[in-house]
Amino acid sequence: MANEKEKKLKFCINDHRDVLVEILKRLDGRSLGVAASVCRLWCSITRQDSVWESLCFRHVSPPPSDVRPVVVALGGYRRLYMVCLRPVILSRLSRQLSLRLGNGGAGDSERIKRICTRDEVQLSLSLFSIDYYERLGGGTGRLGESSASSLMFLCKPVNV
Amino acid sequence: MKRERPDTGGGGCSMEAGKSKMWKEEDGGMDELLAVLGYKVRSSDMADVAQKLEQLEMVMGNAQEDGISHLASDTVHYNPSDLASWLGTMLSELNPPPNFDPPAQQTQPRSITPLVESSSLYDDPSDYDLRAIPGGAICRQIEPPSTALREPKRMKPSSASSETELTRPVVLLDSQETGIRLVHALMACAEAVQQENLKLAGALIKQIGLLAVSQAGAMKKVATYFAEALARRIYRLYPQESLDSSFSDLLQMHFYETCPYLKFAHFTANQAILEAFAGKNQVHVIDFSMKQGMQWPALMQALALRPGGPPSFRLTGIGPPQPDNTDALQQVGWKLAHLAETIHVEFEYRGFVASSLADLDASMLDIRPGEAVAVNSVFELHRMLARPGEIEKVLGSIKAMGPEIVTVVEQEANHNGPVFLDRFTEALHYYSTLFDSLEGCGVSPASTQDQVMSEAYLGRQICNVVACEGVDRVERHETLGQWQTRMGSAGFGSVHLGSNAFKQASMLLALFAGGDDYRVEENNGCIMLGWHTRPLISTSAWKLAKKDPE
Repeated sequence: MANEKEKKLKFCINDHRDVLVEILKRLDGRSLGVAASVCRLWCSITRQDSVWESLCFRHVSPPPSDVRPVVVALGGYRRLYMVCLRPVILSRLSRQLSLRLGNGGAGDSERIKRICTRDEVQLSLSLFSIDYYERLGGGTGRLGESSASSLMFLCKPVNV
Repeated sequence: MKRERPDTGGGGCSMEAGKSKMWKEEDGGMDELLAVLGYKVRSSDMADVAQKLEQLEMVMGNAQEDGISHLASDTVHYNPSDLASWLGTMLSELNPPPNFDPPAQQTQPRSITPLVESSSLYDDPSDYDLRAIPGGAICRQIEPPSTALREPKRMKPSSASSETELTRPVVLLDSQETGIRLVHALMACAEAVQQENLKLAGALIKQIGLLAVSQAGAMKKVATYFAEALARRIYRLYPQESLDSSFSDLLQMHFYETCPYLKFAHFTANQAILEAFAGKNQVHVIDFSMKQGMQWPALMQALALRPGGPPSFRLTGIGPPQPDNTDALQQVGWKLAHLAETIHVEFEYRGFVASSLADLDASMLDIRPGEAVAVNSVFELHRMLARPGEIEKVLGSIKAMGPEIVTVVEQEANHNGPVFLDRFTEALHYYSTLFDSLEGCGVSPASTQDQVMSEAYLGRQICNVVACEGVDRVERHETLGQWQTRMGSAGFGSVHLGSNAFKQASMLLALFAGGDDYRVEENNGCIMLGWHTRPLISTSAWKLAKKDPE
């Protein structure tokens, strides 16, 4: 027992940040949120956009190239996921779930992948650009109000 | 004099024990129904008020034969909210000579909706000089006798209904039954208007108002808006068109946020434009419906990410003149330019102010050789049908621009028939469906406000369709079939919208509350969005038809 404990004490994942990043990159959105509450190191890692980038485009093949500058410019992958991609995926999931529950396939709910298709990515990017445009605010439009689900307060103000 | 009177219009308190469950008391003891109309009457006073009203009506009725009937529709209602004491004063004034001119009636529609203009109401009750009232609305109305209605001196379902309903005990039991009665009353009123039987129409309007207030939800709102519009038509108080475009833009923004119709329109049109611009390096979009430019960020993003890189993108936005000298078009342009710079798309913008699309000319728009042009119109073309010849002129100038693609989004309804009653019926069905789809959007306080503003946005359209005529009636919606015929005969060929547009539209709808109830349909290459089985808007794309070799 004491030996195992010694072994465990010698290895701490927090000492191996790159491994940790690789692991966290493979999580889904909800787990990433949970991971962010573990400790300060994990929180800072989850704030890196690269982690969210792999979440967003993990199973889209071929992976869309040249998307990164646009996404980064419009607010980053984390915001893309939170504001646009997640609602799209969730709405699809809820529809699939209700269909499957209707068909009695309770076990299949595990297999519904929380990944996004190419179309969902496209739609999310469109919605993301609209979100950015609305945040430019000033004058007319939404009069600077943010909708209930927007994370506007997390973003740095934009100079028009 | 039966004590039954309180059963009718003033029934707030006395019906508590009784059957109608709709007549709930508001907090503070004010009668809810009358409060909706702007009258503050305590429920405890209701019986008293009703009795006074009846007495008043009798005196007025007698007085009318003495030749002051012209006052029936001309005089203005002062401080109507304090109903009880006002009635008291009037009665005491009236009981001496019947020739005394009481400020007995209100001619302004006391509309139930937020869209009340109350410019002619004064607080000074001694000012009976009608000429002092600004705006032609009242003074212009020295009505011919045919419209000096015996009963309905009041516009809306007000407490007057308490005495007009004397012989008709209105016992509202079943909300569904009243819903049916409401629709019948609306149709009957429209028919009366059609037949110029304004006396009957006026009487029906009051009944409609009463029935409408007892409804709930979408039916109530639709009925209220339609009743207001009918009342305006009957009493010739046409809505002011002077509300500046920034207000209607604001309403449209809320409509944009609340329900998917505008987003659907933008996304499907953008898809068609994107496909038409494939392989082109210089593109120019001419937008007839610029407003806040909400359509273009998504297109710019799609252009930025297209294989082969973005083209140079020019946008010409057409908008109406602003009354307060702010250059709204330019502000929109700055925002779009900022976005374009962020995503590295070469962007050029020009705002073009035109009070009507027919004033435009292809030569004004500086179309450069070698650029691919797209023309976009969302809910704008139908306005051109108000004046003869304008739509042909606009379509001609579109052709002169040499576009690769013309995207047209229009409401899917025929609100431009020659017969008023048919238009009314169509509009009633159309807007009922629209309002149904809006129900349930208002969950949080913010979205409730959105919903109310969206309903106001639609309410203005309703008012225009029903109350206005001639060049003022700009909401001349036509069906997709009609537009297809028109575009075809103007020399345009149809472009089929692909499955991409369909997929995007379907996914978009799933994001909205009630997503399952929206239907996306493909119809001959055009895409329609509807609620349950009723299509509501349609997107179609057009290109210049090849000329036959001559």
